Amino acid sequence: MNIVVCIKQVPDAPNIRVDRERMTIIRDGVESIINPLDRVALEAALDLRQKEGGTVCVLTMGPSRSEEALREAMAAGADQAILLTDPHFAGADTLATSRVIGRAISRMDPFPDLILCGRQTIDSDTGHVGPQLAEELDVPQVCGVTEIHLDGNALVVKQVSDGFQNTYRVTFPALLTVSQGLHIPRHIALGALEQAFSSARVQRWGLRELKLQPEEVGFSGSATTVLRLHRPPQKRKGEVVSGSSQTLTERLIAKLVSLSILDEDDAG
Amino acid sequence: MKMMQDKGWKGVWVFGDYRNYFQNRVTLQLISKGKELAAQLGTEVTVLVLGSQVHPYAMEYTAHGADAVMVVDHPSLENYQVETYVRIVSQLVESFKPEIFLAGATAFGREFFPRLAKRLNTGLSADCVALEIDAETGFLIQSTPAFGGELLADILTPKHRPQMATVHPGVFEERSHDPQATARMVYPEVDIHAEERVQLIRSKPDQSPKGGLEEAELVLVGGKGLGSKENFHMLFELARLLGGEVGATRPVILSGWTEESRLLGQTGKSVKPKVLITAGTSGAVQYTTGIQGAETVIAINRDPHAPIFKMADLGLVGDAKTVLSLLLEKLRKRL
Repeated sequence: MNIVVCIKQVPDAPNIRVDRERMTIIRDGVESIINPLDRVALEAALDLRQKEGGTVCVLTMGPSRSEEALREAMAAGADQAILLTDPHFAGADTLATSRVIGRAISRMDPFPDLILCGRQTIDSDTGHVGPQLAEELDVPQVCGVTEIHLDGNALVVKQVSDGFQNTYRVTFPALLTVSQGLHIPRHIALGALEQAFSSARVQRWGLRELKLQPEEVGFSGSATTVLRLHRPPQKRKGEVVSGSSQTLTERLIAKLVSLSILDEDDAG
Repeated sequence: MKMMQDKGWKGVWVFGDYRNYFQNRVTLQLISKGKELAAQLGTEVTVLVLGSQVHPYAMEYTAHGADAVMVVDHPSLENYQVETYVRIVSQLVESFKPEIFLAGATAFGREFFPRLAKRLNTGLSADCVALEIDAETGFLIQSTPAFGGELLADILTPKHRPQMATVHPGVFEERSHDPQATARMVYPEVDIHAEERVQLIRSKPDQSPKGGLEEAELVLVGGKGLGSKENFHMLFELARLLGGEVGATRPVILSGWTEESRLLGQTGKSVKPKVLITAGTSGAVQYTTGIQGAETVIAINRDPHAPIFKMADLGLVGDAKTVLSLLLEKLRKRL
């Protein structure tokens, strides 16, 4: 089975800092990682390859430095890596992004049997690229899968969605986006990382290789545009109390009593 | 490309998402917000309902303020199916040309709407927390959390139609039920053939999470600031002693301290408890969108400048782990 895994390099979540004056993200000193759910997708691909044979190709669209994410994925076990990079790709919304990734996958020979993505990224968080890529490629999709099995010529997948546990049979080729809990990503050995960063080959495709026009991609190929960024409105103006942990706990208990969560007797 | 050369795009559409109670509530919230937007644009709100035997929903949407309900009722539409829905709805959008099309950011909405937007070659914003009409241009301003949730981005779809958005559950208020209300019923002719590439084999209610989070009167939320899985698990004992439920922020889920079904916020659940205690959470918008509905918020955090204090009714500046363990000690003694 030939599998393509779409990954994205993102800033490490808990360390994101925003410059509140200039309304931009502070990238200095923030480590970049492979989007966590994309690691889960990669692990699912490696697991299927082990059972069924075939190849795993990792693919990302981004600036030059996102090659690091591809090399890390190769260290984890991916066979091939493709970086979709071109100055024209910058500023893309999900419509334009799915067009570029879709074009790249359409060029692959043979066409992959399975395309895996994380259900959403931790930075932009739309969850759009998976289903939009499935539409671009005209393949069936199931989002947020928690189990993948092979059954003859089809996939049987489970999805938890809106309080239901759904089981689907999906024909090949197909696109799945994966949810937390499908797999725990493996630890990547330092030696493998060193090797991937020193000698693994990463292909680079831009506008020309993908036979796309500048107006189809990036900012000009996008349907949405950001009008402005602003701070969310502040709704509550409560009191803020400092003090020893003891004082704070007493204050908390008093509040819970006043809200009838605790009885005065219980609170002692 | 489908640009809006003609001025033919008119009307606000809401996708009738009804499969469970919460999905249906979002639909009602969107009808209410849609009415506001439509009034500004001098147009009306149409709810689109697909399914089998869906007339009770059409009645409910009428009573909650829809000006028109468009119904596609067919036995083969008994289950939600992304590709079938995309095929049918894209035909309807192309013939009726709504200028705005909204859906709840439910799991299904977030699986279906992106593919539909792609088929229609138009823009889509995800999980909006505010919507308004720009007075000058008449464009829909779609506000959605950005940059890890610290900021809101106002997004426009200037040249493509419809302007599509999924909307976070619980941010708009539904209208009260008016049994006297009437709406125009529309039964469009569409070509229905059900999806073949994805077959639903089985669907059953998901038992894994205790569905109580959304209805709990007391919710205790822990963030990465609690420091460890063990500290986080104090929340479960507190919840048991106080009669509440436990929620978590995304960094906690990513660290594997608890299961994903407890995730609150933009991509998780929204809660509306009487009291919410949030401990060791800095207050990123991606999380706080999920707790906006709480009546009273008590925040405990070491950093006095943490944004969470700006949305708390009572803020305690201190070590959350120590305060929780002292509270637990007190409760164990008394109960």
